[in-house]
Amino acid sequence: MTTPLFAIDGLCVEVPGRRLLDGLTLSLPRGQVVALIGHNGSGKSTLLKVLARQVAPSGGDVAFDGRALADWPARDYARALAFLPQSTPPAEGMLVRELVALGRYPWHGALGRFGARDHAAVAAAMAECGVAELAGRLVDTLSGGERQRVWLAMMVAQQAGTLLLDEPISALDIAHQVEVLSLVRRMCHAQNRSAVIVLHEVNMAARFCDHVVALKGGRLAMQGGTGDLMRPEALAAIYGLPMQVLRREDGGPVAVPA
Amino acid sequence: MSRAARIALPLAAGLALGLWLLAAWRILPPAGWPALPLRPEAMSLDQILLGFGLMPRGAVALAAGAVLGLSGALLQAVLRNPIADPTTLGISAGAQLALVAATILMPGLMDHGRWPVAMAGAGLAAALVMAIGARRAFAPVSMVIAGMLVGMTASAIATAMVLARGEYLLSLVIWNGGSLVQQDWSGLRALALVLALGAIAAAGLARPLRVLSLGGEGARGLGMNVALVRLAALALAVAMAGAVSAELGLIGFVGLAAPALARSLGARNMMQVLALAPPIGALILSICDGVVLALAGATGEMFPTGALTGLIGGPLLIWLLPRLRGSTPPGTEAAEGPAPRLARPAPVLVALALAAAILALVLVWIGRLPQGWAVLDWPSFRAFLPLRLPRLVAAGAAGALLAMAGAILQRLTANPLASPEVLGVSGGASMGYAATLFLVAAPGQAALTAGTMLGGALALALVAAFARRRDMPAERVLLAGIAVSAMAAATLSAIMATESPQSWQVLAWLSGSSGTVGPVQAGVLAVLALLVAGLGWLMRRWLAALPLGAEVAAGLGLPLTPARLALIGLAGLATGAATVLVGPLSFTGLMAPHLARRLGLARARDHLAGAALIGALLMIAADFGARMAGFPYELPLGLFASLLGAPWLLWLMTRMRR
Repeated sequence: MTTPLFAIDGLCVEVPGRRLLDGLTLSLPRGQVVALIGHNGSGKSTLLKVLARQVAPSGGDVAFDGRALADWPARDYARALAFLPQSTPPAEGMLVRELVALGRYPWHGALGRFGARDHAAVAAAMAECGVAELAGRLVDTLSGGERQRVWLAMMVAQQAGTLLLDEPISALDIAHQVEVLSLVRRMCHAQNRSAVIVLHEVNMAARFCDHVVALKGGRLAMQGGTGDLMRPEALAAIYGLPMQVLRREDGGPVAVPA
Repeated sequence: MSRAARIALPLAAGLALGLWLLAAWRILPPAGWPALPLRPEAMSLDQILLGFGLMPRGAVALAAGAVLGLSGALLQAVLRNPIADPTTLGISAGAQLALVAATILMPGLMDHGRWPVAMAGAGLAAALVMAIGARRAFAPVSMVIAGMLVGMTASAIATAMVLARGEYLLSLVIWNGGSLVQQDWSGLRALALVLALGAIAAAGLARPLRVLSLGGEGARGLGMNVALVRLAALALAVAMAGAVSAELGLIGFVGLAAPALARSLGARNMMQVLALAPPIGALILSICDGVVLALAGATGEMFPTGALTGLIGGPLLIWLLPRLRGSTPPGTEAAEGPAPRLARPAPVLVALALAAAILALVLVWIGRLPQGWAVLDWPSFRAFLPLRLPRLVAAGAAGALLAMAGAILQRLTANPLASPEVLGVSGGASMGYAATLFLVAAPGQAALTAGTMLGGALALALVAAFARRRDMPAERVLLAGIAVSAMAAATLSAIMATESPQSWQVLAWLSGSSGTVGPVQAGVLAVLALLVAGLGWLMRRWLAALPLGAEVAAGLGLPLTPARLALIGLAGLATGAATVLVGPLSFTGLMAPHLARRLGLARARDHLAGAALIGALLMIAADFGARMAGFPYELPLGLFASLLGAPWLLWLMTRMRR
């Protein structure tokens, strides 16, 4: 068996007065789109931030690619793994091209030359995410869906094998939600990347992800394939609410509150 | 009243009384104290000193403290803002400016006493701050930023008026404001009357104010005339603060501290705060005055008590800020809409560089003589060039340094209002200057420069540590910086009031100009400016990624802590070097990067270069203005620049969207 993407053992995260993650032990598979779901305050975003090294754990071990998180130098980690925060910050006065080019930082560093390989990577990333024609636009003038694709392009330019996305579709309308998640799924399956996505919307998770990790109150509630998730008992256990699973015309499951 | 209050208040009262008795004992042992009623013709000199100096002084400290405490509590209640007080809202400084202006420009106005003048000044300053606050829904932090800026501007104008008339000695009078020294009982009578009337009015307003604490809509729903209640409470608070200013001068932060202490002693609702704040304010000012008396001895010192309360104010504000959680609506994310972006910045940069060079040359060429303006002919131009060039180079380099520091800080904090002046770096730098004067025997220029830089970097590190706290919005960081600046100003006032040899050096520095700059110092500044520009160019990628926030920057593998430390150090170095020449306040570091951005210089390296050039232009122009406006006296360079900069910042705040 190959090393898992992330091996998490007894992970705890505490803030004064509250335990956000409580002894979490699980491993995340490689080469798949993994959804992190759960109710508000279940710790799913915290877990993602620990994986992105944005939050330091207060206890337990996390290894990425068989190596403890703390042992990774910052730039090596950024070459292997790209992270998109929940609310993308305003990119004041920045062009699409420049924002995507920032993704090359882990490769050329503060002083290295921005060489031909960097130019090629930026162009390829913009083409892959369909933002090449936006290259000369100001990022802040784009629509929500376009902007999210630009940020994805920045992650692609990072040439990292693993993408961490924190609620990438929460601010988008339904058409752009589908567009962004299809793009992520295509990116992973076509290029053999792995992705961990925090999602609110359980139907989106079922439709676009391969593997689901559900948290409840800082502990693991369930993990497995989307088939394991889309059962009334499992959903009721995760959300604390009776749920019904309906069938679409094509046979795919749809969960609604019962 | 809580147990804490029952224990703390008598203890404080005992301390205040003990300190006062100590001072009284030094004049005369209790056996020789004058009997009541006081009859000066039958008293010895010591008895008169006690009966008409120390006794009214002790009582005035109590009365003024109570008035300020009540004023602060009222302001905090009506604005629903736990950091409002006559100092933080600029009211006291407005009164002070009115007094100085009337003394210098229209002494006749003072015939009717100082009170109407002080009231008018206090009222105008309050109206200005309220007008700015109204545009931002009276958000507490915005209000206080506006208020402290109004206050700083008012003090700068007052200082400029004094210095422009060459009345350097009178400037000491300003800095001595806030002394509680009394000659008779008239001050006490006036303040006691104010306190009594104020207390009655406040008692009448208490119930409407409690309804108002539900918020304007709720109160209106209960049938209350909200505007009238607000206006009445504000007018009362402003009048009380103006009375203290007229009688004693600037006594800062008592109105902030008293309600805050009342709350931490367990006063939960507004009525209790209104009732507890006056006695607590009285005790605070009384203890401060007792400490001043004890420090100075019985020799009739002139160390103003107001300077001591100012020293307490800065740290207090910083301590209060994190406790503001939840009461502040989110502030200023976006400035005045998206700034434009130039496709080709190079021509603009070249034009700016040319403009700076041409302006410098023209300003060497023209000058002011007692009879009027003059353009130099060629021989005198050649004679004047070596005299004027160093100061122009130095001013330009200092402007560029401040501007680059500002650009770096604005990118580092992703906050368009950040700048070395606003973040307290300049204040820290001036404290470093003062500390070097006192700690090093006969410091040379190099030691002073190093001390100033160190002070700037330390202040910046302090504010940066504060900024790292979770959930700390950019505006509060700004306020922390302003608090550091206020503390620095209070320290400088205190030093000024000691009248030691060092105080004259600080005064010379504060009121100094670029006139004494030699070619060596100008050269050093120019080299430093180039060095900072070069280092800034090397760090351009950090400067490009950091405005996107820590999450993104860390996700890209940026070494966050070293990068931040390096940039903070660079900004501190640049500010410190420039502050030695310009003095603590100029606002160039705020204006120049902002202007550069408005011109369309968006990329990190263009932004930095454009800001540096604009900063140099501004400072060269300010140098000319400082030299000419008060001719034949020279105004402080930084002062002149801040007279341009602070109104600009206020205007900027009124234009920001909520």
